Amino acid sequence: MIALKNAWRRNAVAYMFLTPWIVGLIGLSAIPMVASLYFSFTNYDMFTDPQWVGLANYAQMFQDQKWLNSVEVTFKYVFISVPLQLTFALCVALALSKGLKGLRFYRAIYYVPSLFGGSVAVALLWRQLFGGDGLVNRGLAVFGIEGTNWISQPDTALYTLIILAVWQFGAPMIIFLAGLKQIPIELYEAAKIDGAGKFKQFFKITLPLLTPIVLFNLVMQVISAFQAFTPAFIISGGSGGPLDSTLFYTLYLYQKAFTQFQMGYASAMAWLLLAAIAILTALIFLSSKKWVHYQE
Amino acid sequence: MKKNKVIHTLLSAIMLTSLFLAGCSGSDNNSSEGNGESSGGGDEVTIRFSWWGDTKRNEIYNSIIDRFEEANPTIKVDREFGGWNDYWDRLSTQIAGGNAPDVVSMHQFYVSDYARRNALLNMQEFADAGTIDLSNFAEATVESGTVDGNLFMVAKGVTMPGIVYNAGFLEEIGVEPPDMNWTWDEFNEKMLEVNQAMPEENFGVPDLSGGQLQPNFRYFVRQRGNDVFTEDGMLGFEREDLVAWWTMWEDLRQKGAVPDGATTTEYDSAPLEQNMFTTGLTAFTQVPANQLHLYQEQFDNGDLEIVRMPGLEDGETGEYIEGAYLSITERSEHPEEAAKFIDFFVNTEEALELFKVEQGSPGSSEMAEFVLPLLEPAQQRAVDFIQETVEYARPAPYAPLGINELEQSFADNASGIAFGQLTVEEAADNFMAAAESILQ
Repeated sequence: MIALKNAWRRNAVAYMFLTPWIVGLIGLSAIPMVASLYFSFTNYDMFTDPQWVGLANYAQMFQDQKWLNSVEVTFKYVFISVPLQLTFALCVALALSKGLKGLRFYRAIYYVPSLFGGSVAVALLWRQLFGGDGLVNRGLAVFGIEGTNWISQPDTALYTLIILAVWQFGAPMIIFLAGLKQIPIELYEAAKIDGAGKFKQFFKITLPLLTPIVLFNLVMQVISAFQAFTPAFIISGGSGGPLDSTLFYTLYLYQKAFTQFQMGYASAMAWLLLAAIAILTALIFLSSKKWVHYQE
Repeated sequence: MKKNKVIHTLLSAIMLTSLFLAGCSGSDNNSSEGNGESSGGGDEVTIRFSWWGDTKRNEIYNSIIDRFEEANPTIKVDREFGGWNDYWDRLSTQIAGGNAPDVVSMHQFYVSDYARRNALLNMQEFADAGTIDLSNFAEATVESGTVDGNLFMVAKGVTMPGIVYNAGFLEEIGVEPPDMNWTWDEFNEKMLEVNQAMPEENFGVPDLSGGQLQPNFRYFVRQRGNDVFTEDGMLGFEREDLVAWWTMWEDLRQKGAVPDGATTTEYDSAPLEQNMFTTGLTAFTQVPANQLHLYQEQFDNGDLEIVRMPGLEDGETGEYIEGAYLSITERSEHPEEAAKFIDFFVNTEEALELFKVEQGSPGSSEMAEFVLPLLEPAQQRAVDFIQETVEYARPAPYAPLGINELEQSFADNASGIAFGQLTVEEAADNFMAAAESILQ
């Protein structure tokens, strides 16, 4: 009893300092989350009182063509953009880790796109780049290729967003760079003496020792790719068009909640997204036993 | 040790207090915005007013509000504005969150949604008391602001859509301008004719087959004796109406007189200065008459003329009263002041001198008379057009709940046709199925 009291007394000050954070967590995250869980079982239009409908919202989703389409678009986006982005980040990190002059400068320059991140300005810029008479098509025209309007073609619109995601490779690159620095140089020297070429060195030493970093980057990027919203919202003007080809899950959720007043349905969508991300992350962690090597 | 502990406690206490104070003062600010009881000025009251529009409109409305504040020193008006889409997104969240402005701009297509969800105040009592003077408003105009017999909005301006063209340009390419009362058949012929006379990459008219359910499609179904909705909130038209409409547009598209899906998408969110018509990509377009002068500013090679929406031979008239309106929100703490503001906005020369025909011809006939000599020629033409066509107007049922979702399906299926991914028949089936599940 007394021990407990003492422990409380010892930690009281810490708790006091934590209060602002705790208040924020409860007020801005915990309560809204619980509320949205409740709303997900109701029919709620934000004006009138919510009505309990049980699992109807969840059941309705699987019959909603637009919802199914948004799931497909989102998975396509995640499964194409994340591997591409990580490969690209790793390549740049490898190039920068060779100890070339002006490393700090390059590192900063390559990181800049990630700072702009999901900003509205970059999405607007993208619209210009890939538009009918945008920079991309002018570049292609030099080689005599006539480009289309990449953003307003249903077949290509999503890929402009994927390129945008790949372009923002700065954060994983920095982490890869740090990881590369951790690999003991002796390993390479030993490999060289044994006659291993550059490729062999990369696949036998660099990649295996980098796998914990790859895992970390993979998990982080998959989560953030699922939550991508701004680029699609800006580039399609909020519609997810053309022909719903850029209708991300989050964008459809937003439309349901704020233009169609179906807050209950949107809440259910949000919880399903959470579940999907959790399951996918868990799968990645489970599989990691097979391919991640931790240094002993 | 002891000393340290005291300092710790003190520090955290200070932090907590300041946090607490910050929190309180934050909510204080909010409530004073809501109640308008600013602590200092005794009887001074603050109301909030929001509208949609572009920069130019913001300037005009700000000046009108300044004049209102001058005339009513005890009332302060906070201003909020945004583009059309942002405006509606924000309004719905504000109303749901209980912090909507006192006076909001309203539109026919959305008013029933808000009114039937009890978000708007019935203004009848202010009209009866004369706080809002509607004695100079035409009965049809007042009527157009009621839902289920209750007065939920007062017209800022009444407008009518029409088809616009540049008379100078048509003359240049040797195409006869269309007749004021033309039919859809003549419209089709004219689009093909003008498309022939223009360079290959140009078009007759933008794709009006999709987007919002009104005005284009609504005029068409009304002329066929139906409407988009019935009075009791069901779908008011048949599958054939939809097939006929989309077939007509698909035909024009196949013949090159209407742009393909990708081109339409490209210009989807273009502002007025950069849309298909202003950039010369099309020879015709559909425009609400109150915007005629804004378009005219973009053209220095001829006068813009506006004609009625095409009709059907022996068909009914498609016209109904449209416009921009003012409403008071149900939760407003100062409905009296809000009503005063609305009256100032629609009934005084000080306000109308600036408003002119910004969002349509003024609702009050006296004010419409007053602004007439202040107008530019293009505005003059717009007013003439509105006054002529408003005669044809018939009442139009309000949109039922779920209108946003229905409209989405309409737009989706129309663009499915435009991109060649759906046939007209398939798109019509999709839409009818969606409508059935949405409008239950």
